[in-house]
Amino acid sequence: MSRVVVVTSGKGGVGKTTTSASFSTGLALKGYKVAVIDFDVGLRNLDLIMGCERRVVYDFVNVVQGEATLQQALIKDKRVDNLYILAASQTRDKDALTQEGVERVIEELKEAGFDYIVCDSPAGIEKGAQLALYFADEALIVTNPEVSSVRDSDRILGILQAKSKRAESGEGPIVEHLVLTRYNPARVETGEMLSVEDVIDLLSVNLLGAIPESEDVLNASNAGSPVIMEEKSQAAQAYKDIVDRFLGEEIEHRFLTAEKKGLFQKLFGK
Amino acid sequence: MNKIIDLKGSILSLTVLKLYSNDIEQTKQALSDKINQAPDFFVGIPVVLEPQVDNLDPTFLALMVEFLHQKQMLPIGIRTQDETLKEHANYAGLAVFGEESQVKKRPQQQESKECAEAPSLKTALVVQNAVRSGQQVYAKDRDLIVLGSVNPGAEVIADGNVHVYGTIRGKVFAGSQGETSARIFAQKLDPELVCIAGLYQLAEDIEPAHKNGFIEVSLRNDQLNFKLLD
Repeated sequence: MSRVVVVTSGKGGVGKTTTSASFSTGLALKGYKVAVIDFDVGLRNLDLIMGCERRVVYDFVNVVQGEATLQQALIKDKRVDNLYILAASQTRDKDALTQEGVERVIEELKEAGFDYIVCDSPAGIEKGAQLALYFADEALIVTNPEVSSVRDSDRILGILQAKSKRAESGEGPIVEHLVLTRYNPARVETGEMLSVEDVIDLLSVNLLGAIPESEDVLNASNAGSPVIMEEKSQAAQAYKDIVDRFLGEEIEHRFLTAEKKGLFQKLFGK
Repeated sequence: MNKIIDLKGSILSLTVLKLYSNDIEQTKQALSDKINQAPDFFVGIPVVLEPQVDNLDPTFLALMVEFLHQKQMLPIGIRTQDETLKEHANYAGLAVFGEESQVKKRPQQQESKECAEAPSLKTALVVQNAVRSGQQVYAKDRDLIVLGSVNPGAEVIADGNVHVYGTIRGKVFAGSQGETSARIFAQKLDPELVCIAGLYQLAEDIEPAHKNGFIEVSLRNDQLNFKLLD
Protein backbone atom coordinates (compact mmCIF):
# COMPACT_ATOMS: atom_id res chain seq x y z
CA MET A 1 0.00 0.00 0.00
CA SER A 2 1.45 3.32 -1.07
CA ARG A 3 1.49 6.19 1.38
CA VAL A 4 1.55 9.81 0.29
CA VAL A 5 3.52 12.01 2.71
CA VAL A 6 3.51 15.79 2.41
CA VAL A 7 6.34 17.85 3.89
CA THR A 8 4.89 21.26 4.60
CA SER A 9 5.25 24.27 6.91
CA GLY A 10 3.44 27.37 5.73
CA LYS A 11 6.50 29.50 6.34
CA GLY A 12 9.41 29.51 3.92
CA GLY A 13 13.03 28.74 4.74
CA VAL A 14 12.35 26.46 7.70
CA GLY A 15 13.79 23.31 6.13
CA LYS A 16 11.04 21.66 4.10
CA THR A 17 13.25 20.70 1.17
CA THR A 18 16.15 19.66 3.43
CA THR A 19 13.72 17.47 5.36
CA SER A 20 12.13 16.07 2.17
CA ALA A 21 15.55 15.12 0.80
CA SER A 22 16.83 13.47 3.99
CA PHE A 23 13.52 11.82 4.87
CA SER A 24 13.03 10.26 1.43
CA THR A 25 16.69 9.17 1.31
CA GLY A 26 16.30 7.65 4.79
CA LEU A 27 13.21 5.70 3.73
CA ALA A 28 14.99 4.45 0.60
CA LEU A 29 18.01 3.39 2.71
CA LYS A 30 15.56 1.24 4.69
CA GLY A 31 14.71 -0.58 1.48
CA TYR A 32 11.47 1.15 0.53
CA LYS A 33 10.78 2.35 -2.98
CA VAL A 34 10.43 6.11 -2.69
CA ALA A 35 9.52 8.93 -5.06
CA VAL A 36 10.05 12.52 -3.96
CA ILE A 37 8.19 15.25 -5.86
CA ASP A 38 9.15 18.93 -5.84
CA PHE A 39 5.90 20.93 -5.85
CA ASP A 40 7.72 24.27 -5.74
CA VAL A 41 7.19 25.07 -9.41
CA GLY A 42 9.11 28.16 -10.42
CA LEU A 43 11.50 28.02 -7.44
CA ARG A 44 12.81 24.52 -7.71
CA ASN A 45 15.38 23.50 -5.09
CA LEU A 46 15.01 19.82 -4.40
CA ASP A 47 17.10 18.76 -7.39
CA LEU A 48 19.96 20.97 -6.11
CA ILE A 49 19.88 19.49 -2.63
CA MET A 50 19.64 15.97 -4.05
CA GLY A 51 22.50 16.79 -6.45
CA CYS A 52 20.66 15.89 -9.65
CA GLU A 53 20.09 19.36 -11.13
CA ARG A 54 22.18 18.54 -14.22
CA ARG A 55 20.14 15.45 -14.99
CA VAL A 56 16.72 17.06 -15.25
CA VAL A 57 15.33 16.57 -18.78
CA TYR A 58 11.61 16.44 -18.14
CA ASP A 59 9.97 17.71 -14.97
CA PHE A 60 6.79 17.39 -12.92
CA VAL A 61 4.92 20.01 -14.99
CA ASN A 62 5.74 18.17 -18.23
CA VAL A 63 4.17 15.04 -16.79
CA VAL A 64 1.13 16.86 -15.37
CA GLN A 65 0.52 18.48 -18.74
CA GLY A 66 1.05 15.24 -20.64
CA GLU A 67 4.19 16.38 -22.47
CA ALA A 68 6.29 13.53 -21.06
CA THR A 69 5.69 10.17 -19.43
CA LEU A 70 6.39 9.54 -15.78
CA GLN A 71 9.22 7.14 -16.68
CA GLN A 72 10.92 9.86 -18.72
CA ALA A 73 10.71 12.41 -15.91
CA LEU A 74 11.64 10.29 -12.88
CA ILE A 75 15.32 10.76 -12.05
CA LYS A 76 16.99 7.80 -10.37
CA ASP A 77 19.19 8.77 -7.43
CA LYS A 78 22.85 7.87 -7.92
CA ARG A 79 23.66 7.17 -4.27
CA VAL A 80 20.63 5.24 -3.04
CA ASP A 81 18.69 2.49 -4.76
CA ASN A 82 14.90 2.72 -4.93
CA LEU A 83 14.95 6.53 -4.71
CA TYR A 84 13.51 8.60 -7.54
CA ILE A 85 13.14 12.35 -7.88
CA LEU A 86 10.51 14.25 -9.80
CA ALA A 87 11.91 17.75 -10.23
CA ALA A 88 9.86 20.93 -10.46
CA SER A 89 9.93 23.18 -13.49
CA GLN A 90 11.92 26.37 -13.11
CA THR A 91 10.37 28.13 -16.07
CA ARG A 92 6.68 27.76 -15.24
CA ASP A 93 4.58 28.94 -12.33
CA LYS A 94 2.28 27.12 -9.95
CA ASP A 95 -0.77 27.60 -12.18
CA ALA A 96 0.78 24.99 -14.46
CA LEU A 97 -0.30 22.35 -11.92
CA THR A 98 -3.86 21.06 -11.98
CA GLN A 99 -5.55 18.88 -9.42
CA GLU A 100 -6.46 16.26 -12.05
CA GLY A 101 -2.89 16.23 -13.36
CA VAL A 102 -1.38 15.84 -9.90
CA GLU A 103 -3.85 13.09 -9.07
CA ARG A 104 -2.95 11.22 -12.25
CA VAL A 105 0.79 11.41 -11.47
CA ILE A 106 0.24 10.18 -7.90
CA GLU A 107 -1.98 7.32 -9.11
CA GLU A 108 0.65 6.32 -11.66
CA LEU A 109 3.34 6.31 -8.98
CA LYS A 110 1.15 4.11 -6.79
CA GLU A 111 0.58 1.71 -9.67
CA ALA A 112 4.33 1.66 -10.35
CA GLY A 113 4.76 0.15 -6.87
CA PHE A 114 6.21 3.06 -4.91
CA ASP A 115 5.88 2.52 -1.15
CA TYR A 116 6.21 6.19 -0.25
CA ILE A 117 5.46 9.27 -2.32
CA VAL A 118 6.97 12.30 -0.60
CA CYS A 119 5.57 15.66 -1.66
CA ASP A 120 7.86 18.63 -0.98
CA SER A 121 5.44 21.54 -0.57
CA PRO A 122 6.21 25.13 -1.51
CA ALA A 123 5.91 27.79 1.19
CA GLY A 124 2.66 29.67 1.62
CA ILE A 125 -0.92 28.49 1.70
CA GLU A 126 -1.83 29.10 -1.94
CA LYS A 127 -2.50 26.72 -4.80
CA GLY A 128 0.91 25.03 -4.91
CA ALA A 129 0.90 24.25 -1.20
CA GLN A 130 -2.74 23.13 -1.29
CA LEU A 131 -2.10 20.77 -4.21
CA ALA A 132 0.96 19.31 -2.44
CA LEU A 133 -1.08 18.39 0.63
CA TYR A 134 -4.39 17.53 -1.06
CA PHE A 135 -3.68 13.83 -1.68
CA ALA A 136 -1.63 13.24 1.49
CA ASP A 137 -2.14 10.38 3.94
CA GLU A 138 0.47 11.69 6.36
CA ALA A 139 2.10 15.06 6.89
CA LEU A 140 5.43 16.19 8.27
CA ILE A 141 4.97 19.69 9.68
CA VAL A 142 8.37 21.36 9.58
CA THR A 143 8.65 24.10 12.18
CA ASN A 144 11.43 26.28 13.56
CA PRO A 145 11.27 27.04 17.28
CA GLU A 146 10.11 30.62 16.86
CA VAL A 147 6.65 32.20 16.99
CA SER A 148 6.07 33.13 13.35
CA SER A 149 7.00 29.67 12.12
CA VAL A 150 4.78 28.05 14.76
CA ARG A 151 1.87 30.29 13.81
CA ASP A 152 2.24 29.44 10.11
CA SER A 153 2.43 25.74 10.94
CA ASP A 154 -0.76 26.12 12.92
CA ARG A 155 -2.38 27.67 9.86
CA ILE A 156 -1.25 24.85 7.57
CA LEU A 157 -2.52 22.27 10.09
CA GLY A 158 -5.93 23.89 9.84
CA ILE A 159 -5.77 23.60 6.04
CA LEU A 160 -4.68 19.94 6.30
CA GLN A 161 -7.75 19.28 8.42
CA ALA A 162 -10.14 21.17 6.15
CA LYS A 163 -8.96 21.18 2.55
CA SER A 164 -7.37 17.80 1.97
CA LYS A 165 -8.92 14.96 0.01
CA ARG A 166 -9.18 12.94 3.22
CA ALA A 167 -11.05 15.77 4.95
CA GLU A 168 -13.40 16.28 2.00
CA SER A 169 -14.17 12.61 1.45
CA GLY A 170 -14.62 11.87 5.15
CA GLU A 171 -11.84 9.27 5.27
CA GLY A 172 -9.68 9.20 8.39
CA PRO A 173 -7.74 12.40 9.00
CA ILE A 174 -4.20 12.97 7.74
CA VAL A 175 -1.66 11.65 10.27
CA GLU A 176 0.30 14.68 11.47
CA HIS A 177 3.93 14.60 12.62
CA LEU A 178 5.92 17.53 13.97
CA VAL A 179 9.50 17.98 12.80
CA LEU A 180 11.30 20.71 14.70
CA THR A 181 14.29 21.97 12.71
CA ARG A 182 17.19 24.29 13.60
CA TYR A 183 16.72 23.38 17.23
CA ASN A 184 19.37 24.90 19.48
CA PRO A 185 19.06 23.66 23.09
CA ALA A 186 21.53 26.23 24.36
CA ARG A 187 19.43 29.08 22.98
CA VAL A 188 16.28 27.48 24.34
CA GLU A 189 17.82 27.53 27.81
CA THR A 190 18.59 31.23 27.57
CA GLY A 191 15.03 31.85 26.42
CA GLU A 192 15.94 32.97 22.91
CA MET A 193 14.05 30.07 21.32
CA LEU A 194 10.81 28.30 22.04
CA SER A 195 11.28 24.93 23.70
CA VAL A 196 10.00 21.63 22.30
CA GLU A 197 7.34 21.65 25.00
CA ASP A 198 6.18 25.16 24.04
CA VAL A 199 5.82 24.20 20.39
CA ILE A 200 3.98 20.94 21.13
CA ASP A 201 1.72 22.80 23.55
CA LEU A 202 0.87 25.35 20.86
CA LEU A 203 0.38 22.95 17.97
CA SER A 204 -0.85 19.83 19.80
CA VAL A 205 0.88 17.54 17.30
CA ASN A 206 3.09 14.54 18.15
CA LEU A 207 6.80 15.24 17.86
CA LEU A 208 8.46 13.03 15.28
CA GLY A 209 11.85 14.51 16.04
CA ALA A 210 13.95 17.62 16.52
CA ILE A 211 16.87 18.37 14.20
CA PRO A 212 19.64 20.24 16.00
CA GLU A 213 20.90 23.41 14.36
CA SER A 214 24.05 22.40 12.52
CA GLU A 215 26.36 23.82 9.90
CA ASP A 216 26.43 20.34 8.37
CA VAL A 217 22.99 21.06 6.92
CA LEU A 218 24.19 24.03 4.87
CA ASN A 219 27.39 22.25 3.85
CA ALA A 220 25.46 19.21 2.69
CA SER A 221 23.01 21.36 0.69
CA ASN A 222 25.88 23.16 -1.01
CA ALA A 223 27.46 19.83 -1.83
CA GLY A 224 24.23 18.53 -3.33
CA SER A 225 23.88 15.64 -0.92
CA PRO A 226 21.11 15.11 1.64
CA VAL A 227 22.47 15.73 5.13
CA ILE A 228 21.32 12.28 6.28
CA MET A 229 24.23 10.85 4.25
CA GLU A 230 26.76 12.60 6.55
CA GLU A 231 27.23 9.70 8.94
CA LYS A 232 28.89 11.69 11.74
CA SER A 233 26.57 14.65 11.76
CA GLN A 234 24.06 15.11 14.60
CA ALA A 235 21.53 16.34 12.06
CA ALA A 236 21.91 13.07 10.15
CA GLN A 237 21.46 11.07 13.35
CA ALA A 238 18.32 13.06 14.11
CA TYR A 239 16.91 12.48 10.60
CA LYS A 240 17.61 8.75 10.91
CA ASP A 241 15.71 8.75 14.21
CA ILE A 242 12.85 10.51 12.46
CA VAL A 243 12.70 7.87 9.74
CA ASP A 244 12.77 5.07 12.33
CA ARG A 245 10.01 6.69 14.39
CA PHE A 246 7.96 7.30 11.26
CA LEU A 247 8.22 3.57 10.50
CA GLY A 248 6.89 2.76 13.94
CA GLU A 249 10.00 2.23 16.06
CA GLU A 250 10.08 3.71 19.54
CA ILE A 251 13.25 5.68 19.98
CA GLU A 252 13.98 8.11 22.75
CA HIS A 253 14.25 11.73 21.63
CA ARG A 254 17.77 13.15 21.68
CA PHE A 255 19.48 16.45 20.93
CA LEU A 256 16.84 18.19 23.03
CA THR A 257 19.06 19.40 25.85
CA ALA A 258 22.43 21.11 25.92
CA GLU A 259 23.90 18.39 28.20
CA LYS A 260 23.22 15.63 25.71
CA LYS A 261 24.70 17.70 22.97
CA GLY A 262 27.87 17.93 25.04
CA LEU A 263 27.97 14.16 25.29
CA PHE A 264 27.73 13.79 21.55
CA GLN A 265 30.36 16.41 21.01
CA LYS A 266 32.67 14.23 23.06
CA LEU A 267 31.65 11.07 21.27
CA PHE A 268 32.17 12.47 17.79
CA GLY A 269 35.17 14.53 18.71
CA LYS A 270 33.65 17.80 17.64
CA MET B 1 -69.85 25.56 51.70
CA ASN B 2 -72.40 25.01 49.04
CA LYS B 3 -72.03 26.96 45.86
CA ILE B 4 -75.08 28.48 44.35
CA ILE B 5 -73.54 29.05 40.99
CA ASP B 6 -70.26 28.45 39.22
CA LEU B 7 -69.18 30.14 36.00
CA LYS B 8 -66.84 28.06 33.94
CA GLY B 9 -65.66 28.12 30.38
CA SER B 10 -66.40 25.00 28.42
CA ILE B 11 -66.14 23.83 24.87
CA LEU B 12 -69.43 22.35 23.67
CA SER B 13 -70.24 20.63 20.46
CA LEU B 14 -73.03 22.44 18.57
CA THR B 15 -74.77 21.92 15.26
CA VAL B 16 -73.91 24.62 12.76
CA LEU B 17 -76.45 25.49 10.06
CA LYS B 18 -74.61 26.95 7.11
CA LEU B 19 -76.73 29.18 4.88
CA TYR B 20 -75.70 29.46 1.26
CA SER B 21 -78.73 31.34 0.00
CA ASN B 22 -80.22 34.72 0.90
CA ASP B 23 -83.67 33.64 -0.30
CA ILE B 24 -85.70 32.85 2.84
CA GLU B 25 -88.34 30.72 1.06
CA GLN B 26 -85.73 28.62 -0.69
CA THR B 27 -83.85 28.11 2.58
CA LYS B 28 -87.01 27.16 4.46
CA GLN B 29 -87.86 24.60 1.77
CA ALA B 30 -84.41 23.02 1.85
CA LEU B 31 -84.49 22.82 5.64
CA SER B 32 -87.95 21.23 5.62
CA ASP B 33 -86.76 18.62 3.18
CA LYS B 34 -83.80 17.85 5.40
CA ILE B 35 -85.90 17.58 8.57
CA ASN B 36 -88.47 15.35 6.85
CA GLN B 37 -85.76 12.74 6.28
CA ALA B 38 -85.36 12.28 10.06
CA PRO B 39 -87.92 14.37 11.94
CA ASP B 40 -87.05 13.08 15.43
CA PHE B 41 -83.37 13.78 15.13
CA PHE B 42 -83.76 17.55 14.93
CA VAL B 43 -86.15 18.01 17.85
CA GLY B 44 -84.71 20.19 20.62
CA ILE B 45 -81.20 20.49 19.23
CA PRO B 46 -79.35 23.80 19.68
CA VAL B 47 -78.32 25.36 16.37
CA VAL B 48 -75.82 28.05 15.42
CA LEU B 49 -76.45 29.84 12.16
CA GLU B 50 -73.55 30.57 9.86
CA PRO B 51 -74.51 32.66 6.83
CA GLN B 52 -72.07 32.16 3.96
CA VAL B 53 -73.71 34.81 1.76
CA ASP B 54 -73.76 38.59 1.79
CA ASN B 55 -76.69 40.99 1.49
CA LEU B 56 -79.05 39.12 3.79
CA ASP B 57 -82.44 40.79 4.12
CA PRO B 58 -82.76 42.50 7.57
CA THR B 59 -85.76 40.26 8.33
CA PHE B 60 -84.00 37.07 7.22
CA LEU B 61 -82.56 36.16 10.62
CA ALA B 62 -85.80 36.84 12.51
CA LEU B 63 -87.81 34.76 10.01
CA MET B 64 -85.24 31.99 10.20
CA VAL B 65 -85.35 31.92 14.02
CA GLU B 66 -89.14 31.74 13.94
CA PHE B 67 -89.07 28.91 11.38
CA LEU B 68 -86.53 26.89 13.44
CA HIS B 69 -88.72 27.26 16.54
CA GLN B 70 -91.65 25.95 14.50
CA LYS B 71 -89.55 22.93 13.60
CA GLN B 72 -88.81 22.49 17.36
CA MET B 73 -85.14 23.39 17.02
CA LEU B 74 -83.37 25.89 19.34
CA PRO B 75 -81.43 28.62 17.47
CA ILE B 76 -78.98 29.99 20.05
CA GLY B 77 -76.53 32.05 18.06
CA ILE B 78 -74.85 33.12 14.90
CA ARG B 79 -71.27 32.82 13.76
CA THR B 80 -70.14 35.74 11.62
CA GLN B 81 -67.59 38.54 11.22
CA ASP B 82 -70.08 40.82 9.44
CA GLU B 83 -70.93 43.86 11.57
CA THR B 84 -74.45 44.30 10.10
CA LEU B 85 -75.26 40.65 10.72
CA LYS B 86 -74.08 41.01 14.32
CA GLU B 87 -76.56 43.87 14.69
CA HIS B 88 -79.35 41.78 13.18
CA ALA B 89 -78.42 38.97 15.56
CA ASN B 90 -78.85 41.33 18.44
CA TYR B 91 -82.46 42.09 17.37
CA ALA B 92 -83.19 38.41 16.78
CA GLY B 93 -81.91 37.53 20.25
CA LEU B 94 -79.00 35.43 18.99
CA ALA B 95 -75.55 35.14 20.56
CA VAL B 96 -72.60 36.06 18.34
CA PHE B 97 -69.73 33.60 17.91
CA GLY B 98 -66.43 34.37 16.21
CA GLU B 99 -65.86 32.91 12.80
CA GLU B 100 -64.65 29.32 12.70
CA SER B 101 -61.42 29.81 10.84
CA GLN B 102 -60.43 32.71 13.08
CA VAL B 103 -61.12 30.82 16.28
CA LYS B 104 -59.09 27.86 15.24
CA LYS B 105 -56.19 29.48 13.49
CA ARG B 106 -55.33 32.25 15.89
CA PRO B 107 -53.97 30.12 18.72
CA GLN B 108 -51.90 28.12 16.25
CA GLN B 109 -50.30 31.23 14.86
CA GLN B 110 -49.57 32.52 18.32
CA GLU B 111 -48.00 29.23 19.29
CA SER B 112 -45.65 29.18 16.36
CA LYS B 113 -44.69 32.79 16.99
CA GLU B 114 -43.89 32.00 20.58
CA CYS B 115 -41.66 29.17 19.45
CA ALA B 116 -39.68 31.50 17.26
CA GLU B 117 -39.39 34.26 19.81
CA ALA B 118 -38.59 32.25 22.90
CA PRO B 119 -34.95 31.24 23.30
CA SER B 120 -35.07 27.85 21.64
CA LEU B 121 -33.21 24.98 23.28
CA LYS B 122 -30.24 24.25 21.07
CA THR B 123 -27.36 22.14 22.25
CA ALA B 124 -23.91 23.66 22.22
CA LEU B 125 -21.66 23.47 19.17
CA VAL B 126 -18.76 21.19 20.11
CA VAL B 127 -15.34 21.43 18.45
CA GLN B 128 -13.25 18.34 19.18
CA ASN B 129 -9.83 19.66 18.20
CA ALA B 130 -7.83 22.83 18.48
CA VAL B 131 -9.09 25.84 16.55
CA ARG B 132 -6.09 26.81 14.46
CA SER B 133 -4.68 30.06 13.13
CA GLY B 134 -6.91 31.42 10.37
CA GLN B 135 -9.90 29.31 11.38
CA GLN B 136 -13.13 30.84 12.59
CA VAL B 137 -15.89 29.03 14.46
CA TYR B 138 -19.30 30.61 14.99
CA ALA B 139 -21.97 29.07 17.20
CA LYS B 140 -25.18 30.81 16.12
CA ASP B 141 -27.89 31.08 18.79
CA ARG B 142 -26.05 28.63 20.99
CA ASP B 143 -23.10 27.93 23.24
CA LEU B 144 -19.71 26.87 21.97
CA ILE B 145 -17.52 24.21 23.52
CA VAL B 146 -13.93 23.78 22.30
CA LEU B 147 -12.16 20.72 23.65
CA GLY B 148 -8.74 21.81 22.37
CA SER B 149 -7.06 25.19 22.42
CA VAL B 150 -7.90 28.33 20.48
CA ASN B 151 -4.58 29.18 18.86
CA PRO B 152 -3.19 32.63 17.97
CA GLY B 153 -4.87 34.00 14.86
CA ALA B 154 -8.01 31.91 15.38
CA GLU B 155 -11.45 33.28 16.29
CA VAL B 156 -14.21 31.63 18.27
CA ILE B 157 -17.60 33.32 18.38
CA ALA B 158 -20.84 32.32 20.08
CA ASP B 159 -24.20 33.99 20.59
CA GLY B 160 -24.22 32.18 23.93
CA ASN B 161 -21.39 31.21 26.27
CA VAL B 162 -17.94 30.02 25.22
CA HIS B 163 -16.23 27.14 27.01
CA VAL B 164 -12.64 26.24 26.12
CA TYR B 165 -10.97 23.25 27.73
CA GLY B 166 -7.56 24.23 26.37
CA THR B 167 -5.89 27.64 26.30
CA ILE B 168 -7.40 30.63 24.52
CA ARG B 169 -4.62 32.39 22.63
CA GLY B 170 -6.71 33.79 19.77
CA LYS B 171 -9.80 35.98 19.82
CA VAL B 172 -12.89 35.02 21.74
CA PHE B 173 -16.38 36.54 21.48
CA ALA B 174 -19.33 35.55 23.67
CA GLY B 175 -22.85 36.97 23.38
CA SER B 176 -22.05 38.25 19.91
CA GLN B 177 -25.71 39.20 19.30
CA GLY B 178 -25.66 41.36 22.40
CA GLU B 179 -26.48 38.87 25.14
CA THR B 180 -24.92 40.57 28.17
CA SER B 181 -25.30 37.56 30.44
CA ALA B 182 -23.04 35.46 28.22
CA ARG B 183 -19.83 34.26 29.80
CA ILE B 184 -16.47 32.83 28.80
CA PHE B 185 -14.83 29.92 30.59
CA ALA B 186 -11.30 28.80 29.81
CA GLN B 187 -8.75 26.43 31.26
CA LYS B 188 -6.26 29.19 30.57
CA LEU B 189 -6.78 32.59 29.03
CA ASP B 190 -4.02 34.39 27.15
CA PRO B 191 -6.06 35.85 24.30
CA GLU B 192 -5.44 38.43 21.63
CA LEU B 193 -8.87 39.83 22.40
CA VAL B 194 -11.72 38.92 24.70
CA CYS B 195 -15.21 40.28 24.04
CA ILE B 196 -18.66 39.88 25.58
CA ALA B 197 -21.69 41.55 23.97
CA GLY B 198 -19.48 44.03 22.14
CA LEU B 199 -17.36 45.10 25.14
CA TYR B 200 -13.79 44.00 24.63
CA GLN B 201 -10.32 44.04 26.10
CA LEU B 202 -7.01 43.47 24.34
CA ALA B 203 -4.24 41.23 25.61
CA GLU B 204 -2.22 44.05 27.12
CA ASP B 205 -5.16 45.29 29.19
CA ILE B 206 -5.62 41.92 30.88
CA GLU B 207 -3.81 41.53 34.17
CA PRO B 208 -1.05 38.88 34.07
CA ALA B 209 -2.59 37.29 37.17
CA HIS B 210 -5.65 36.43 35.11
CA LYS B 211 -3.63 34.66 32.46
CA ASN B 212 -2.91 31.63 34.58
CA GLY B 213 -5.51 29.15 35.70
CA PHE B 214 -9.12 28.28 35.07
CA ILE B 215 -11.01 31.53 34.57
CA GLU B 216 -14.48 32.89 34.08
CA VAL B 217 -15.12 36.15 32.25
CA SER B 218 -18.45 37.87 32.63
CA LEU B 219 -19.91 41.32 32.11
CA ARG B 220 -20.60 43.44 35.18
CA ASN B 221 -21.60 47.12 35.03
CA ASP B 222 -20.47 47.32 31.41
CA GLN B 223 -17.03 46.05 32.34
CA LEU B 224 -15.39 42.71 31.76
CA ASN B 225 -14.98 40.91 35.05
CA PHE B 226 -12.26 38.25 35.37
CA LYS B 227 -12.57 35.65 38.07
CA LEU B 228 -10.17 32.79 38.73
CA LEU B 229 -12.11 29.67 39.59
CA ASP B 230 -9.44 27.47 41.15
